[in-house]
Amino acid sequence: MEKWARREDERLLSGKGRYVADIHVPGCLDAAFVRSKVAHGVLRAVDCTAARDVPGVVGAWSAADLPDLPPVPYTLLAGLSTEEAVAGREWSALVKDRVRYPGEALAVVLGEDRYRAEDGVAEVTATIDPLPAVVTPSAALKDSVRLFDGMSNVVLRGEAGEPVDPAVWEGAAAVVEATYRQQLLMPSPMECRTVLAVPDGDRLTVWSGHQMPHRLRRELAALLGWSADRIRVVVPDTGGAFGSKSAAFPEFVAVAHLAVKLGRPVRWIEDRLESMLVATRGRGQDQRVRLAADADGRLLAYELSIDADVGAYPHLGAGLPMQTAWMAAGAYTTPHVHATLRSVLTNTMVTYPYRGAGRPEAAIAIERTMDLLARRLGMDPVELRRRNFIPPDAFPYETPVGRVYDSGNYAAALDLALETLDHDRWRAEQARRRTDPDALPLGIGISCYVERSGGEAGGLHEFGSLQVTEDGRITARCGAAPSGQGHETVFPALVAKFLGVPEAQVRLIEGDTDEQPEGLGSFASRSAQVDGALFQHLANLLIEEARTRAAGLWELPVDQVAWTDGSVHTAHNGSALMDLGELVKHTGPLRIEDRFETGQAFPFGAHAAVTEVDPDLGLVNILQLVTVDDCGVILNPAVVRGQAYGSALQGIGQALYEGMQFDDDGVPHVASGFLDYLLPTFTEVPPIEAKDTHTPSPNSPLGAKGAGESGCIGTPAAIANAVADALPAVDPELLQMPLTPDRILRALRASTHEEDVR
Amino acid sequence: MKTTLKVNGTDHVLDVEPRRVLADVLRDDLGLTGTHLGCEHGVCGACSILMDGEPIRSCLVLAVQADGRSLRTVEGLTGPDGEPHPLQRAFSAEHALQCGFCTPGFLMVAAGAMDADPDLADHPEAMDHVVGSNICRCTGYGPIRRAVERAAQERRTA
Repeated sequence: MEKWARREDERLLSGKGRYVADIHVPGCLDAAFVRSKVAHGVLRAVDCTAARDVPGVVGAWSAADLPDLPPVPYTLLAGLSTEEAVAGREWSALVKDRVRYPGEALAVVLGEDRYRAEDGVAEVTATIDPLPAVVTPSAALKDSVRLFDGMSNVVLRGEAGEPVDPAVWEGAAAVVEATYRQQLLMPSPMECRTVLAVPDGDRLTVWSGHQMPHRLRRELAALLGWSADRIRVVVPDTGGAFGSKSAAFPEFVAVAHLAVKLGRPVRWIEDRLESMLVATRGRGQDQRVRLAADADGRLLAYELSIDADVGAYPHLGAGLPMQTAWMAAGAYTTPHVHATLRSVLTNTMVTYPYRGAGRPEAAIAIERTMDLLARRLGMDPVELRRRNFIPPDAFPYETPVGRVYDSGNYAAALDLALETLDHDRWRAEQARRRTDPDALPLGIGISCYVERSGGEAGGLHEFGSLQVTEDGRITARCGAAPSGQGHETVFPALVAKFLGVPEAQVRLIEGDTDEQPEGLGSFASRSAQVDGALFQHLANLLIEEARTRAAGLWELPVDQVAWTDGSVHTAHNGSALMDLGELVKHTGPLRIEDRFETGQAFPFGAHAAVTEVDPDLGLVNILQLVTVDDCGVILNPAVVRGQAYGSALQGIGQALYEGMQFDDDGVPHVASGFLDYLLPTFTEVPPIEAKDTHTPSPNSPLGAKGAGESGCIGTPAAIANAVADALPAVDPELLQMPLTPDRILRALRASTHEEDVR
Repeated sequence: MKTTLKVNGTDHVLDVEPRRVLADVLRDDLGLTGTHLGCEHGVCGACSILMDGEPIRSCLVLAVQADGRSLRTVEGLTGPDGEPHPLQRAFSAEHALQCGFCTPGFLMVAAGAMDADPDLADHPEAMDHVVGSNICRCTGYGPIRRAVERAAQERRTA
C-alpha cells in the first residue's frame, strides 16, 4: 500500500500545509475592522484620530477617509443576483451613512500585527443612531422598517411553473398545508476567510482561501480599474469552504484597495468571532406548502411559496431561492407544481450558498410534506413515495418547474436505504414501544431527494490544459479550486487512467490564475462532473495530437499510428514505439488547452433515520442513519464516501443543533462563539451507514454527477420526519428545525395542552 | 519578556510581549504554522499542542506561561528518521482528513492520549473522548475515530 492515501496528506499531516495565514511576507500589515454593535442605524460620525496615534498602527480609515474606496462587487453569475435587485442598493465596503447588519465594518485599521491593529480598533469611536431592526422575512415584508429609504425590502419576485387551477385542490381527496422555517445557518469552515494582497511593481498578487480565483481576479481588477492580467490570484491550501468562499467580500475590497494605495502587503485573517458576526449565512427561508393527492395517493398538485431572507444587501444570493423553486417538484411525477418566491432584505449579514444552496430547502419542504400527506391518507410514507416516483424509463424528465432531470432510479435508492436500515425490524420495534409505557417513543423517517449539480446554463464549462515535458511528465491544469476534496489525488489518477500512464507521471496545478488563465472554480458540486469530463476531453485531444505528430515523424498516415499505454506505435506491428517524453524531444513542446462543457446533472438518493425522543428532557437521539446517494459514476469511492458521511453530519446539524438566534434588537447571539452556535461534535455522531447506487449521467461523457452536498440535502428531512413519526400526537408544524430540547418540550407541552382542552 | 520555549526538543530563547498567546508565538515567531487557529476561544481545538505531555489549547495559553516548558507541535510528530507517526499514517489510511485545517489539533490530542495510555486501544470511551474534544467540519469524525483506534492498536503491537 502507498504510504499516503491522498497526495495532499503528507503535508497536511506534518504541519507543512500552507494556508493563507501561514504565508510569511516581510512587512505585511494586518487589517482589523471596527464593527457596528447595532444591527440597524444611521451612522453620524466615525473618528479614527486616536487610533492613528497607537504604537504599531500604520493607518486607520473610515469611509469618509477613503473617498475612492470602491463598493462591494456583485455577480449575476448563476442568478445570485439581478440588476433590478441591486439597483439603488449599493453595498459600501465601509459604511458611509447607514448600518444595515450587525458587525458591518465602520472603519479599517492597519497595524504591524493583528494585536496592534486591534489596539487601534479599540480607539476608534463611532456614533450611530439606532433604528429598529428586522431579522426575519415575515417582519421585513411589512416594510414598516425599510433598509433603503423609499424602496421596498422585497428585492426580487420569482416564479417557476404555472399557477395551479383551484379546481385541482377542490377535487382532491386530500390536501395538506404546512409552513416551514429553514433557519439561518453558518457554513463554519474551520478556516475562516482569508485574503493577502501583495503589490509587486504594477501587479498585485492576492492569496485567498477561495473557491473561484478567476472570479476574484475579475472582480478585484474591476474595482481597481485594472486589466485582469495585472492581478494574480493564488489559492493555497483552503480550510473548507462549503459554498461560503466564492465572493469578493467587503473586507477583501478594503484590503486590496489599501495594499495598492500604500504599496505594501496587507492581509486580513478573519477570526471566528468576526466570522460568526459577518460571514455569509446559508438557508433562511420561510416556506408555505400545499400538496394534494387523490384517494389512491397519487399526487395531483404541489405549491411552494418562499419568503427568503437574503440579508442586508441583494448583491449575493438574492436569486438563490430560485434554486429552491426550480427543484420544488422533488422526485415525483406531480403534474402541477408551482413555486413562487419573494427575496426580502433583513438586517443580517447576507445569505449566500451554503452546502446544498437552495436544494436542501426544496427537498426538506417536499419530503416533510410527503409525510404529512401519508399521515392524512393513512398510508405508509414509503408506499406513498413509491407510487409517485418518476420511473427510471421516464428520463430525461422535465418537471413542471422547468428542470430536465437527466437520469435516475429513485426506487432503487430507497430500496437500498430501507434494506440497509432494516426498516421492518424498526417498524416492529416501534409497535412494541407503543405498547410499552416505559419505552421512549421511536420514529422512522425517510427523505428521497433530487438535487442539481454542475451549475446553471452559462456556467457549466471549465478551462484546462495538459502539458507534456521532455521527461514524459504530464502537468494537468484546470480552473477548479478545492477546499478539501482531494483534487491533487483524484484528477492526476483520472488523467493517468485516460492516457494509460502511471499516476506518478501526472501532477495537478490548480488555484493560480497565472498558471491557468481562465477558469470558473469549485462550486455547485461541479469539479468531478465538469473538470473530470474536461480532462477526459483533453486526454483524447492529447492522444490525437501525439498520433498526428508521430505520423509526421514516421511519414505514415495517422490511421496507421496507434496509442497504447502512454506511447505511440505503428498500428500493424507495434514497431517504432515512442513514449510521450521522446515524442516531445523529437517534435517540440506539447500543451493541449481547451474549454469543455457538460449538461446539468441531477444526483439523487434516499436517506432514512431512526430516532427516539426523550419526552422528559426533549432530547432527540438518532439511533441509526442510512444515506444512499447516487452521483452517477464515482471517480474515487473513498473521497466521495468521505464527503457523503461528512455532509450527513452537517445535515444532522441543521436538523437538531444549528441555527442563528437573535436578540430583539437584531444582534445575533454569538458572544460565546461555538458555545452559542452548536456544531456537531463526535459525541453527537450516530451510527451512519453511507452507501451508493450508480446511475450514470448522460449529460457528461464521464457519467459523473456532483457529489458532496448530499447529506445537507437529504438528511434533515429524514430526521425531522423520524421525530414527527415518534410523536404522532404532536402537531408537526411545531417541529421546526433545529429540533432542540427547548423546541421539542414546547411542542410536547402544546399538544398536551390541546388534548386537555379537548 | 524573556521566555524560553523548548519546542520539539529545541530550545528557543525569545523576547515575547506578555500579552501574546502561545499559538501566535509558535506560528509567527518560530514559523511553526502547522498549529492552526480555528476559534481562538478554546472550543474547536485546532490549536491543540502538548505541553509537558498534556494537551493544551495554545490559543488560551500566553507564551510567557509556557516559559521553561516542553512543547510538542505537529511538526514534532514525525520520528527523527523521518518515519511518520502511526497517527499520521492512520489518518491518511482512514481518510480522517479532508481540508486538513483541524487535523494538527486532532493529531496532537490523540498523540498525547496514546503517550499517556499505552493501552488506549482497549479503552473505547477514552478514544471517544479524544475525538470528541475537537471540532472537524469535513469528515463527520467517524474516520478520525477509526484512525485513532488504528494507530493505538499499531502502537500496542509494535
